[in-house]
Amino acid sequence: MDEDEIGRDGFAFSGSWRAYAPIAFTNLALTIVTLGIYRFWATTRTRRYLWAHTRFIDDQLEWTGTGKELFIGFLMVLVLIGVPFMIINFGAQALVLQGQTGLAGLLTLASFVTILYMIGLARFRALRYRLSRSWWHGIRGGSDDQGFGYGCSYLWKSAVGSLAAGLMIPWSMMSLWNERWNKMSFGPHMFESAGDYRPVFKRFLLFYLFPFIVFAAGALFAVTAAQMQQGAVSPLALLGGVLFVLAIYGSLGLIALAFYAKFFREAVDGLSLAGLNFHFYAKTKEWLLLFLGDIALVVCTLGIGSIFLSYRHWKFFVTHMGCTGAIYTDELTQSQTKTARHGEGLLDAFDVGAI
Amino acid sequence: MEDFRFWHYDGESAVRRSVILRLLGDGFMPEDPDSGWSGDPVRWDRLTVVGREGDRSAYGHRERPGWRIGFSGEAPDSIARHLPAPERYGRWVDRIGFWPAAGAFTLAAAAVVFVVLQVPDWLAPLIPSSWEDRMGDAMVGDFGGRFCSTPAGDAALVALVRKVDPQGEARDVALANIPIVNAVTLPGGRIILFDGLIQQAKSPDEVAGVLGHELGHVRHRDTLTGLLRQLGLTAVLGSFGGNAGGYLNGVLSLSYGRKAESSADGVAIEQMRGAAISPLPTAGFFARLGGEEEGGTGAQTMTWLSSHPLSTERRKRFEAAVAKGQDYRPALDPAQWQALRRSCKADPDVAKPWGRGM
Repeated sequence: MDEDEIGRDGFAFSGSWRAYAPIAFTNLALTIVTLGIYRFWATTRTRRYLWAHTRFIDDQLEWTGTGKELFIGFLMVLVLIGVPFMIINFGAQALVLQGQTGLAGLLTLASFVTILYMIGLARFRALRYRLSRSWWHGIRGGSDDQGFGYGCSYLWKSAVGSLAAGLMIPWSMMSLWNERWNKMSFGPHMFESAGDYRPVFKRFLLFYLFPFIVFAAGALFAVTAAQMQQGAVSPLALLGGVLFVLAIYGSLGLIALAFYAKFFREAVDGLSLAGLNFHFYAKTKEWLLLFLGDIALVVCTLGIGSIFLSYRHWKFFVTHMGCTGAIYTDELTQSQTKTARHGEGLLDAFDVGAI
Repeated sequence: MEDFRFWHYDGESAVRRSVILRLLGDGFMPEDPDSGWSGDPVRWDRLTVVGREGDRSAYGHRERPGWRIGFSGEAPDSIARHLPAPERYGRWVDRIGFWPAAGAFTLAAAAVVFVVLQVPDWLAPLIPSSWEDRMGDAMVGDFGGRFCSTPAGDAALVALVRKVDPQGEARDVALANIPIVNAVTLPGGRIILFDGLIQQAKSPDEVAGVLGHELGHVRHRDTLTGLLRQLGLTAVLGSFGGNAGGYLNGVLSLSYGRKAESSADGVAIEQMRGAAISPLPTAGFFARLGGEEEGGTGAQTMTWLSSHPLSTERRKRFEAAVAKGQDYRPALDPAQWQALRRSCKADPDVAKPWGRGM
């Protein structure tokens, strides 16, 4: 009775956009009339709904974060980071005006490095915050690590990632993912993350192959156009040229998507907790449909549809998650990790995703 | 004694229990009749709402993290009346209801925006000029050595400034070696004319018009007011996040910018009248930049437009300011005008426009 065997489908989502719509629209209205301050309570309401409609094995998840703690996190970031950066920015501008370009450059570089460090720190702390406010069976997650070390790793691994014309990026992304998750826990169990970057690498190489394909296609196109039409540029050739440029951007987006789809599958597949192994099943096609759907939703509603994006993304995430293995509920005891009193303000400030 | 079943987690392990609640005086005790297990007694007022979504209701305990009881459907009345009400929009909004709260927030937001937009106008005059001067000097310094200076050019500039600004309201007027058709007023009453403006102008009267306009910004302390307003708007609209706040911010400051521009034009006309300089060439200058005549490339037009909204109305205002029968004199004599125009080229020490950053 204490053990629940589960197949692929450890996760299920039971929400409906119609039931979520009243939350989304009232969130939008209150956010506007409060000049954006309600945003934090809006996020909380959305998450409470999404978590409550997410079933893991035999019970729903619970979100217990509050709007107040998110707001406090935001204020802390504003005072501790926003104000100093405004002063530095102002100072750098003054230095440039006075011709102290070297000093200004140094100041700008220092602030760039600091921001990069903060982004890493923010990612870590947001994940920690979210786990610590997510409950299942009366048990929560968390981490005892403050994330300062992760910030340093993020800094140097990002730097290494950009070496060798970016060839190290898959390694850098995967090793940061592993480092982040290996410091997280749920109840008494540590997450174990052993994502491998090598299976992802082939798709990453598409980025490097792409310029050659473009060059070949472009040459072919130019030759054909020249043969078809001598002298004046025909409208057809012009149309062809425009389509060609669009195709370049489209293909680049597709490559990025294909890479990320594979990366995310590999990363989640490497993740386990006690006896549970996690999986993610979305392929490039599903990711593509998600993004095309997003674009259609936002464009067709003149932007208002964007209030449903977080709903769509969460649903996508949950319905493609899977879990195998067993978990013993009597061994899953309460987490002893510390919880911060403030929310993910830092992450919020840099606008990056947590997972 | 109710036999209505609750599910229960004790918050110490993830084991799920099916319990009934044995009612006590001001609380209850969860009991599992099958196994004989019973938990610690709990007072009703210690309960918090974790969630009520769909069929599932879950309650927590204020002092015991992870402690939960919950049920599906409706609880019997003997228990339901003790359970706390769930939070919907957040405590403040729930207390007065959605629509009254939305109305109250709208009023408060309007008041805040109004204050942020208005306060700089009241605050700026209260800031001591010496503070502003020091800030302006710290910001600009020697402008990276880009100020053009030749004896003849300096003399011409001084002559022009004396005419347009006889009271010496501007602390400093300088010419900078930057090929942009623009002029700026910096905090501390410092006006910088760009060489691009001097080259683009067809007569010294046009430069006098622009200088008069900038003098208007100095007199009204527009730069400081604008900085304060920008600061306030950024702080207030900052929590919007994304582009929405920035966009709103831009629109609001631009509309205030236009008001300041218009009154600066008023000062320009007034100063030119005092110096007997014709405002007509300045009108021609606006017309040229607006693309109504030859001259000025698109890019040059844009620089002026971005900070100085241009309209036919403005041009007409300068045209209308021409007094018939007035004996107008040129702002500078031909020799002075040539000296001013050559000042940047003739200065051997001046820094290149983009030589040291910027």
